[in-house]
Amino acid sequence: MKPAILIIDDSLTVRMDLSEALNLAGFATTLCATLEAARYALSRTPFVLMILDIILPDGDGIDFLSETRSQHSTAALPVILLSTVAEVSDRIRGLKTGADEYVGKPYDTSYVVARARELARKNISNRPLDNTTTVLVIDDSATFLEALKSALESAGYAVITAGTGEDGLRLAADMRPNAIIVDGVLPGMDGASVIRWIRLDTALRRTPCLLLTGSEGQGNEVIALDAGADAYLRKESDNGIVLARLAAVLRSAQTPSALESGSSLLGPKRILTVDDSSTYLQELATQLRQEGYEPILAHSGEEAIELLTAQPADCILLDLVMPGLSGQDTCRKIKSSATWRDIPLLMLTALDESEAMIAGINSGADDYITKSGDFAVLKARVRAQLRRKQFEDENRRIREQLRCKEIEAEQARAALQLAETRTVLLADLERKNKELESFSYSVSHDLRAPLRAIDGFTQAVIADFSAQLPEEGKEYLQRVCAATHRMGELIDDLLELCRVTRHDLHYKRVDLSLIANAICTDVRRSAPEREADFVIADGLIASGDRSLLQLVLENLIGNAWKYSGKKPRAKIEFGSTTINGVTEYFVRDDGAGFNMKYAAKLFGAFQRLHSEDEFPGTGIGLATVQRIIHRHRGEMRAEAAVDKGATFYFTLPERTTIGEETCAQK
Amino acid sequence: MRAKVILLVEDNRDDEVLTLRALKKSHILNDVIVARNGVEALDYLFGEGGYADRDMSVMPAVILLDLKLPLLDGFEVLKRLRSEVRTKFLPVVVLTTSREERDLLDSYSLGANSYIRKPVDFEKFAEAIHQLGLYWLVHNEPPPGINGDSK
Repeated sequence: MKPAILIIDDSLTVRMDLSEALNLAGFATTLCATLEAARYALSRTPFVLMILDIILPDGDGIDFLSETRSQHSTAALPVILLSTVAEVSDRIRGLKTGADEYVGKPYDTSYVVARARELARKNISNRPLDNTTTVLVIDDSATFLEALKSALESAGYAVITAGTGEDGLRLAADMRPNAIIVDGVLPGMDGASVIRWIRLDTALRRTPCLLLTGSEGQGNEVIALDAGADAYLRKESDNGIVLARLAAVLRSAQTPSALESGSSLLGPKRILTVDDSSTYLQELATQLRQEGYEPILAHSGEEAIELLTAQPADCILLDLVMPGLSGQDTCRKIKSSATWRDIPLLMLTALDESEAMIAGINSGADDYITKSGDFAVLKARVRAQLRRKQFEDENRRIREQLRCKEIEAEQARAALQLAETRTVLLADLERKNKELESFSYSVSHDLRAPLRAIDGFTQAVIADFSAQLPEEGKEYLQRVCAATHRMGELIDDLLELCRVTRHDLHYKRVDLSLIANAICTDVRRSAPEREADFVIADGLIASGDRSLLQLVLENLIGNAWKYSGKKPRAKIEFGSTTINGVTEYFVRDDGAGFNMKYAAKLFGAFQRLHSEDEFPGTGIGLATVQRIIHRHRGEMRAEAAVDKGATFYFTLPERTTIGEETCAQK
Repeated sequence: MRAKVILLVEDNRDDEVLTLRALKKSHILNDVIVARNGVEALDYLFGEGGYADRDMSVMPAVILLDLKLPLLDGFEVLKRLRSEVRTKFLPVVVLTTSREERDLLDSYSLGANSYIRKPVDFEKFAEAIHQLGLYWLVHNEPPPGINGDSK
């Protein structure tokens, strides 16, 4: 049973026109002039589509539409609204009420039919889902159909057959075959018309179509190719040729082109024409020029390849038999190149032999033309190939635009995600920094207060009650005081280490020599009885944070002073060396030094290489120094030997990027 | 001339005892009023709450102010002091454990006259108290209008 369409319109002309066109497209139609009649028809017959006028004698079409939408049986029925009402608001009202399409009168019949077919197809879900290539064969001869069907099936195709153009179109719409082979001469709708319908349908438009025809009437062939057939076959051709041509059209339909052709769609089409006969070449060129093409002439396969390298063509006409690089080889070369394989290629040959034809197509040609044939046929075929190419280009352009949009959307999404993640991470970092800050604040304030009490009251006991205390007791209390002092120092040094990490770097030119001199004066004053020589190099200027670099030198010079304390006359140096353009600053002493075996432990917090009795200290100073140097992107190392003194080296690279140190580090 | 009074704003009893001891050691024998939080300190200064009937002609010669206090902290006390005519010029010495640069800066911004960090070592602490007592109670010339000196 044919799928039925309900047409509701008060104009008899419209009803008849649509009915005729839709019947031709393979649908049954029921015609109603009033809503009352339509209601009755809907209750009796299942429809695949309803075409509905808006202004009707017994009511409003859109109201009727909402009525059908509210009923279960017709809720999903596709509806095309058809109306002279050109009001935008009506159009919107109609589409909002649930119309699938809105067509204004006067309408384009073929458009209505194409839309009708599309919408109706959505309603019929009997399409095969497998991957086999389905070929629709339309021919009125049952014998021919059977023969071709068995040949195709043995080649692995799934075959559906139709006896008339109308049936074929309906099947094509329902089954969506991968290719269509249609007889040119059919009762009723002829093959060319079938192909024309296919080309009008947006969903089927790209389906490759092969047109079959009897040997007589090349005019027929021209018409068929103009209707949009991809290839043309003599009916008496053997099945091998049919299969080869079918494979060729399927191949070109399936490979999405990789090349955006350099030429505009509207400009003259460049046709590369290759033949070893100059006479034929010139004749062909004249013919092509008459058609408005721009022929580019090549006399050999080699020349053709060379020309293609210089400038792409829109179509290639290639002689099969040529000296040197043969047509087949040239074709193979062109079709194996990613940049050229999408250019339609038609084989030319004087030979009217099926083997040559098959060989040509097997080497990748898109179509095949006999040289002896009429130029009209050649021109029609070139047109067909160019049209196919144009469709492909358009489709590809659309696909690429879509892909670009997708990529853009994806990038935007990724950027957004990145920004969000960044915000979250930054907020997290900020929170953690705040936590750390409040932690060190508490440490600074709350840990010290009880220490002060321990020390203060111990001192008070020693001062006020010393008469009652045995010596041993006093000594113990002194130890309590010493321990609290040490704890106090530890807390202070730890806070310093924290502060160094959190402190924002303010880069300036810093005179290290000046700072070192001031520190040396201070340390000398702290123990005026000690004898020591200070050798401070002049004019050492680096870029960095002044207060932090001061801390570095205080620690290093302080250490040098401390660890050389047992020398009768110590020597402390501050200077620099430059090797390979890298300046290393150093602080050197000739004191106790240390075993290089333990150098790795030097910069860890609380790590000490000397006992508290030997040299007092908290073991945090060098950790602080290293952290400051690292925050300046510098490096730090030490050289020492036991009793031979120690040298601490550090670098302070010139800052290359601004702002990377503006936020507190991990 | 009436004896100068010291207002000590301190919530830690240990620190209070130690401060009083350090004052005594330095032979600073002035009356010390102890307030244990910011509210109490302001009550004393403005004769409110528990100090409603105190003699308002007596104002402390110096205020020793801790920063971390219950109820109202040292910064809020300082802000309030500096906004009132009666207390605008009172010398305030911030006496705190904190060595945060921010606290130091905030204190001076709000009008503190001095900032002393309480060391762990009692001897150093006692020395600091001695110095500040000497300076604020003996050497410093207070602005006119405080404690009726202008009379």
